[in-house]
Amino acid sequence: MMITLRGVTKTFETPAGSFAALRGIDLDIKSGEFVAVVGKSGSGKSTLLNMIAGLDKPSTGIVSVAGAALGDLGHDGLATWRGRNVGVVFQFFQLLPTLTALENVMLPMDFSGAIPASRREARAQELLQRVGVADQAAKLPATLSGGQQQRVAIARALANDPPLLVADEPTGNLDSQTSAEIFALFAELVADGKTLVVVTHERETVSGAGRTLTLADGCVA
Amino acid sequence: MKLAPRWAKAFADIVARPGRSLLVILAMTAGLFEMGAMLTKYTILHRELSVTYARTHPASAILVTDAVDDRLVEAVRHLPGIKDAEARPVVAARVRVSPDEWSPAALFVVPDFDRQRLDVFAHDLGAWPPKPGQVLIERSSLSVARALVGDSLTFHARENGDTPLEIAGTVHAAGLAPGWMDHVVIGFVGADSPLAGAAQAQLRIAVSDRPFERRHIREVAGQVAAWLGERGHPVTRITVPEPGRHPHAAQMDTFTYLIGAFGVLSFLLGVMLVATMIHGLLVEQVREIGIMKAIGATTRQVAGIYLAEVALLAAASLVLAIPLGWAVGQGYAKFAASILNAEITDTSVPWWVYALEVAVGLLVPLLVSLVPVGRASRITAREAMSGPSSHPQAAPGFAILARISRPLLWSLRTTLTHRVRLALTVTTLALGGAVFMSAINVGKAYDRAVDRDFATRRYDIAVGFARPQPLAAIAAALATVPGVERAECWPEGTGSLGADGLGAAQLAVVGPDPGSPLLALALAEGRWLRRDDVRAAVINRAVQALDSTLQVGHPIQLLVNGRTVSWPIVGVVQEMSPHLAVYAPPQAVLEATGQSQGLARSVRVATRSRDAAAELAVARDLQRTFERFGIEVTGMQRMLDMRQAILDHLLIIKTILAAAAILVVLVGGLALALTLTLAVIQRTRELGILSAIGAPPRTLAFHVWIESVLIGLVSWAAAVILAIPVSAVLEFVCGQMFFRMSLGFYVSPAAAAIWLGLVVVLATVSSLAPARRAARLTTREALAYE
Repeated sequence: MMITLRGVTKTFETPAGSFAALRGIDLDIKSGEFVAVVGKSGSGKSTLLNMIAGLDKPSTGIVSVAGAALGDLGHDGLATWRGRNVGVVFQFFQLLPTLTALENVMLPMDFSGAIPASRREARAQELLQRVGVADQAAKLPATLSGGQQQRVAIARALANDPPLLVADEPTGNLDSQTSAEIFALFAELVADGKTLVVVTHERETVSGAGRTLTLADGCVA
Repeated sequence: MKLAPRWAKAFADIVARPGRSLLVILAMTAGLFEMGAMLTKYTILHRELSVTYARTHPASAILVTDAVDDRLVEAVRHLPGIKDAEARPVVAARVRVSPDEWSPAALFVVPDFDRQRLDVFAHDLGAWPPKPGQVLIERSSLSVARALVGDSLTFHARENGDTPLEIAGTVHAAGLAPGWMDHVVIGFVGADSPLAGAAQAQLRIAVSDRPFERRHIREVAGQVAAWLGERGHPVTRITVPEPGRHPHAAQMDTFTYLIGAFGVLSFLLGVMLVATMIHGLLVEQVREIGIMKAIGATTRQVAGIYLAEVALLAAASLVLAIPLGWAVGQGYAKFAASILNAEITDTSVPWWVYALEVAVGLLVPLLVSLVPVGRASRITAREAMSGPSSHPQAAPGFAILARISRPLLWSLRTTLTHRVRLALTVTTLALGGAVFMSAINVGKAYDRAVDRDFATRRYDIAVGFARPQPLAAIAAALATVPGVERAECWPEGTGSLGADGLGAAQLAVVGPDPGSPLLALALAEGRWLRRDDVRAAVINRAVQALDSTLQVGHPIQLLVNGRTVSWPIVGVVQEMSPHLAVYAPPQAVLEATGQSQGLARSVRVATRSRDAAAELAVARDLQRTFERFGIEVTGMQRMLDMRQAILDHLLIIKTILAAAAILVVLVGGLALALTLTLAVIQRTRELGILSAIGAPPRTLAFHVWIESVLIGLVSWAAAVILAIPVSAVLEFVCGQMFFRMSLGFYVSPAAAAIWLGLVVVLATVSSLAPARRAARLTTREALAYE
């Protein structure tokens, strides 16, 4: 099993009081599965994704991903684990603005050290080629279109060849045609054996997903 | 080789925001440049003054006797313990600087200008050596003589009357205190000068061993004095200058201390500025830190990127700060040297100064950054990417502000809720304000101490006569001068410390009327003289500093006019003047000096009007009147001149204080401007929201200005408090170093008021660019800002 969640809750303390984002989630996702997480705004989709990607820790419960019990890892341990095991794609692309597309893709390799330094640039070029923006390698993110930026972000997520990809509203900022292209790319990655968890509120764009998980008020509906 | 992406990011971040990077580099440069300038000044001055002074081959001791000829000097050179000897008689004279105005003069009689051995001086301009009717003037005293090369000066020496001498040129005597500072004309004449006969015979010696050991010098000088005495040349006085110390070493010490103290304070200011800037930079980078964390960066890797960024910025600041510090430092060293009558021939700076600048310039920003970088790097990916990591803390006490206008309340809330930024800016500005106010406070404390000291001498003019004059004759002359309010004649003479008179220092022995209203010196210990005292002495701090056993209750032994006297010390007075003075009952001084009761060699005069012009008029009147009465005047000292001489000695100290104050204003202004710019950048989205809901650009700009002024006012209050201990320490140490007395604690209300005005001006000027930025932001730009 690639992902296992047992009794996961997450409560945030806010100035207005406690807010339960997740309430006792139990979830299993197999290796190579393409899961779409849908739900209304505030239903806990992004919080769930953060738990799976090790970007946040649950208030209670167990999260096990790619063979690691995430609760046992500290912040730095999580970062190192994430670098090698998870590729994250964000709604607003989140490329570092001062680095070129190529450098953005090389950055996770630089952090994890999983790819030898001598191979990083070539690998980054290959990944950009794969997502269709090889000709944009030397450009800064601000000069790229939204679709191009998201393709670079996906190449970055693949940098260390992680078994798991998570994407939080990856097409939320893109037009419908580009969104379709991005999901086609995701389908290719799943076909190559990657496990993919995508958060979205656009049900029509997740037709390619093997499973759809609907969240409502922090619970699996 | 391609740079790894994380290091490429460090570099790219700097290049991508040139304006902000330049501001950080400027902040770092400000602190480092000041440190570099201070170190450059110090090392150049310290080395060059020592070298300049050593090149003059300063005499270890000066012996005053009746006559010294070449044969005697040659014989002294071969005495044990003597390295060298030279005769250098001195004429104590006056020089006419305007029709009725005279200044004191010292003319050194030089046997051979081209074969000087001790206290060497160098040719500067004009002729060399002077002909019999000529004089060479020490270049620093030309202004005192109010004359130029080629002019004729009238000198008046006891027994010689008026003697005109042509100024044939100037010399540079680096071992002497500058004439303009001591208000004395220093000249050099040949042995064939018409004034040479009026000279007092002086023999200068240099010891061969332990040249910096004062006790040893005294012993050797004593042996030479005994040797001279055996050959019929009694030594009446021995002077041992402080070995290896320039006459103005105390000024240098104080100057160096102030350079160091203000250097450290300025450097701290720079460090605070850097801390503020780093904090601002990191606040902007939170989201990017989150992204890096999300893609696998550890805390250490993230911290490494930002520390590398800081190191790159610090390296860039070094490129600016080192040459700038050197240029300003060596320029100031030359200026200070000119004030001290020294010459800078080598402006090189030791390698360790540059090494220290590089080490400090790189390490301090890194050390200062450790905490904020560490804190920022530890933030989790989720925290970083979900916006500001912490909700602004609620500002306290808003209930009481309910009646304040909405924009002002909003500005107050904004200012108080960003507490880290507020604390850093306020601390930086408060430190700057404290330095600024302390600089003014120390300067004012010096002025007040001088005023206080001169207020204890309630006479305005001291007149010295060539020969003892009958008291009745003096009184008769004074009675014809309408500007004279009161005059007193006190017996006085000179003496040497110790029963053998070889105490190495010449002291003034003065017998004032114990009840005189003309003298009310400030007592440090014990009591002042009483009318019923027969044998008693009050010494000043300068005398006490010669010998630690000179305490109230202990005796002081003096050799006066060949007689040994011993008086119990009943009091110690504080006097700013470095001159050594012992005050004793008039009768005791008369007996010690052997002077007659009905005669006087001097008179102290209080004028009716105490303004400068009136005093000068009375002095001129006195000069003419005494001449008319056939009383030859050899010295006329106005207290205002003495006061000015002391103030002139403080000039170099005040330039340091002024330089510190100006630098602080510049650095403080920079700090506020940088902080406000960052504050506006950080609140771009907030300003956009306000604009979207209808706030006009003018309101946004006003908001920025109000915040700036509020920060300035809070920092001002903190600066006023901080300036109190800083000023107290500086005033105490400076007073002890320069005058051997405390300057007296003083905090200038004017300084606080000036800083308040400056803070408001700085706040206004600093807020101009950020306010313009805020006002020009379009709503769309502001809301889209990430």
